[in-house]
Amino acid sequence: MIRTVLAISACKLTRLALRLLHRGGTALPGKVALRLCPDLLGRLGRDVQVLLVTGTNGKTTTARMLEQAFADAGLPCFANRSGSNLIQGITAEFAENATLTGRPKKKYAVIECDEAASKAVLGQLRPQVILVTNVFRDQLDRYGEITHTLESIYQGLSHVPEATLCLNADCSLTASLQRRLPNPVRFYGVNVPLYKDPVRELSDASHCLFCKTEYEYDLVTYGHLGSFRCPKCGYSRPLPQVAVTEVLEQTADGSRVRMLCDGAEALVHINLPAGYNIYNAVGAVAALTAMGFTLDAAVAAVGHFHCGFGRMEKFQLGSNPVRMILVKNPAGCNQVLNFLSSLDSPALFVICLNDNYADGTDVSWIYDVEFEKLLELGDRLTGVLVSGKRCWDMALRLKYAGIPKEKLQVIEDYDALIQAMARQSSPVIVMPTYTAMLDLRAKLSRVCGGKDFWE
Amino acid sequence: MELRICHLYPDVLNLYGDRGNIRCMVKRLEWRGLSAQVTELPIGETADFSQFDLFFIGGGQDFEQGVLLDDLRRSGKAASIRAAAADGKVFLAICGGYQMLGRSYTTWDGQGFDFIGAIDVHTQGGQQRMIGNYVFRCADESGGHEIVGFENHSGKTHLGSGVHPLGQVIRGYGNNGEDGTEGARWNNVFGTYSHGPVLPKNPGFCDMLLQTALDRKAPGWGILAPLEDTLENTAHANVAKFVLGTT
Repeated sequence: MIRTVLAISACKLTRLALRLLHRGGTALPGKVALRLCPDLLGRLGRDVQVLLVTGTNGKTTTARMLEQAFADAGLPCFANRSGSNLIQGITAEFAENATLTGRPKKKYAVIECDEAASKAVLGQLRPQVILVTNVFRDQLDRYGEITHTLESIYQGLSHVPEATLCLNADCSLTASLQRRLPNPVRFYGVNVPLYKDPVRELSDASHCLFCKTEYEYDLVTYGHLGSFRCPKCGYSRPLPQVAVTEVLEQTADGSRVRMLCDGAEALVHINLPAGYNIYNAVGAVAALTAMGFTLDAAVAAVGHFHCGFGRMEKFQLGSNPVRMILVKNPAGCNQVLNFLSSLDSPALFVICLNDNYADGTDVSWIYDVEFEKLLELGDRLTGVLVSGKRCWDMALRLKYAGIPKEKLQVIEDYDALIQAMARQSSPVIVMPTYTAMLDLRAKLSRVCGGKDFWE
Repeated sequence: MELRICHLYPDVLNLYGDRGNIRCMVKRLEWRGLSAQVTELPIGETADFSQFDLFFIGGGQDFEQGVLLDDLRRSGKAASIRAAAADGKVFLAICGGYQMLGRSYTTWDGQGFDFIGAIDVHTQGGQQRMIGNYVFRCADESGGHEIVGFENHSGKTHLGSGVHPLGQVIRGYGNNGEDGTEGARWNNVFGTYSHGPVLPKNPGFCDMLLQTALDRKAPGWGILAPLEDTLENTAHANVAKFVLGTT
């Protein structure tokens, strides 16, 4: 008990000190607290109902959708908002939500958890519902092989056999978890194509996880997602209980789709554009209904949530609308290109490539992204500005993609970059990697007027 | 003049932007008014290897290795690759593909696998990953260029007799982190741990491979014209600067 009190106090004090220094750190307070009390997360999580999201892509956006439903229902809920999704950051959020004696102030939590951290986090937390979005190739310098990522998630989930799992039926890797775990499972998926003319991409999972035979597909939505089927051992896409059955409209601001949820049909507006957010929405609906929300409440939440923090976040730079879309890996980046090519309006494209630890130190993945797709935009592409620590690698990639020299400009300084964006007469799409997003977003927010990232 | 490029196993050996090497070779031929024909040979497909001038093999994940070894044996590709290498055809093999061209691989816990055996190198699995940006210099016989790249491997490769290192490590691990060598050169087979992909930022190395392939296809054909490589050289220098810590 004394240790708990000490650890919570230390955590809160460290956090306060960082705030006073105008730093938004969430990892250090948690680290201090865990040093004092290694099982603090488990203690603090005991009386909190947790909905946890893990998987490679879509965690933050999905978590915002989930949080919206709790807010709409007036349920007191906290979340790890600032993308600090390792055990230190998650512990710090729980400590922040606790009284000094360890009692929770708010009864509900929406937690996003890094795939590699899920083993440690789920060793302590006992979520009611866990949503696994997908498993894609991601920063292999950190995670190793894609099957290792899946294995980390599996090991985490094996600690919590009572949690209801919401699994992406279209991801052969994610869906396979059901075969290995005793948990109650809800599958969700997309039954129809998401894009008219998607980029050609490599599959991150072309061969059967169980017998290594090449999968056959009735439908590929993007990447390796779709109606897969192993012709040899019969492993195939499970039938989803919650599914997108029709895409009615996709615009620059959102999508309208039809969903079928446990036999009930719903028209759903998704308050964020692009096909991959349709996946996030159907996953959120599956998780929320598993958590006990009504279908109507879940549909309302995905219809009016706001994401921010670099996920399709909008800024107004003078007369220019700017959309910032965080990219972390080839799959995510290819989906942004799909989104771009579906727009009718002209656009200036900005790419900021960093190679810090959180971005992945290996920038090779830019050659697995089909930037050649930008050529199809023709005159609608007014230019490409490149920045970030590895801007020259990015510029070279675009040269080999065939982007004309006169459309390509490297601007290393972010202030100069923002000025160049403001001078444009067309909407701007900014695609930064994680740490580039943090820096650029801070500067853009100052210019446009916005919140600090921990708020 | 047309170079025929064979991309071996693009379906499974494609881990780290390896396709970028193919794009780079094709573009640098096209910019000079030459052409390239790329044939992809995935698992289950075979072809007459004598028609190709240059072979590319990328890196992959362990998960697919079993499928690959099976296909190499069953489809007869292993024998075709050995024959093409002995015949002086140009090979660029990266990371897992480089290991695969070698004789054998022993995992860190002692399991042994026979690989293609096109070149006399052996790889011993390790438990520590050798990972990061690195710089090496090619031997004069392989063009003498300074190469910047990214390596990420746990296997330690040692060269047999008759196989020369592709170059010497300036900063990083290279073949095994011990003897300062990086990559392998035997006949016209070039193996390296530099994925990334290696060619766009190292245009001299790319042109040396193309020139070698052209010389073999049509002896006395001529010399590749220089290209405007400012962006390539800037990208190279930028990486070299932060890896070597000098200006």
